[in-house]
Amino acid sequence: MKRYSNAILCLAVVAVAFAASPLSAQPVKAKASAIQVEMILSDEIKLPAEFQISLYENLVRQLEKQGGFEHVYRDGDRRAADAADLVVLHSTVRGFKQGSERARRVTTVAGATSITIHCEFKSPDGKVLLEKDVNGKVRFFGGNLRATYDFAKKTARVAHDNFSSSEHKS
Amino acid sequence: MKRRKFLVSFAMTLTFTGLTVCSANAQQTSKHGNAIALTGLPGVKDNAKGTLTVESGKLHFSYAKKSSDLNVADIEDVVTGEDTQASVGKTVSNLSMAAPYGSGRFLALFRSKFDTLTLRYRDDNGALHGVIFALPAGGAGPIKKDLLAQGAHTAVVEERAAVSTAPANSSSKEQKQ
Repeated sequence: MKRYSNAILCLAVVAVAFAASPLSAQPVKAKASAIQVEMILSDEIKLPAEFQISLYENLVRQLEKQGGFEHVYRDGDRRAADAADLVVLHSTVRGFKQGSERARRVTTVAGATSITIHCEFKSPDGKVLLEKDVNGKVRFFGGNLRATYDFAKKTARVAHDNFSSSEHKS
Repeated sequence: MKRRKFLVSFAMTLTFTGLTVCSANAQQTSKHGNAIALTGLPGVKDNAKGTLTVESGKLHFSYAKKSSDLNVADIEDVVTGEDTQASVGKTVSNLSMAAPYGSGRFLALFRSKFDTLTLRYRDDNGALHGVIFALPAGGAGPIKKDLLAQGAHTAVVEERAAVSTAPANSSSKEQKQ
């Protein structure tokens, strides 16, 4: 009988330890109440103009929607100079494969469009706070530009998970 | 029996496709200046259909009793491009997926060309904006020409001009799009 109660006690201790560990492992969000989005650079890889603009516009929109920032400034916005706790997002295209919507519709397995972009979240003085490669894809439905929407959503999620307008643990 | 069913469904799909492709083509060439604001135009929903005109230094997009204007002088870059889109609409395309033997995918082969017009401009605060319009095939060129004539800039012309003047200044070929 005692053996059973000891085993149950051990199990309970292990369960509590497992339940508590994710809380302590969650990263502390850096404080940033505003973000400035720089234009997407594509020096090494030739990106069609409409993709570049679509990436930029979707990124601004998604950061406004779900980034968790009080202000989202665009490239060159003079008001960003006075913003407190500003983060500047630099994005550089690292990979681009333009697929075909026709191939996607006909075969359902071929014709995927994908974009890989290196994102750097920097402080105004140029110190890198976070860097990550983010991928945007369209596999089945939608035009090629939909890959830019996918990228923007993922990047906004990264920003939301790592920055907060008030410094706290999530 | 199965074969007859297949032939009937195939013939129906083919007829329907022909009709929709014809109507799509007719729509596309009907009116000059028709455009779809794909993204980025302030105060305008994505994929809004309307008409695009350039007059008295302004790019004017009017849609559903509303309108949006951009100062041509604020435009930093104008780029034209080409793309294709499905000739049949979304609803028909989705319905066709229920057609037997995957015959609905046949519709995806029919695509029509369209032009894209991509603009970059800065607002009063110096903030960079981008706008993408979709126009009927051959429609972006004249709009770009009008924009450049009224004071817009384009990186393509400037790059080409730099290339043509740089080597020994011998030829004064200035290629313009």
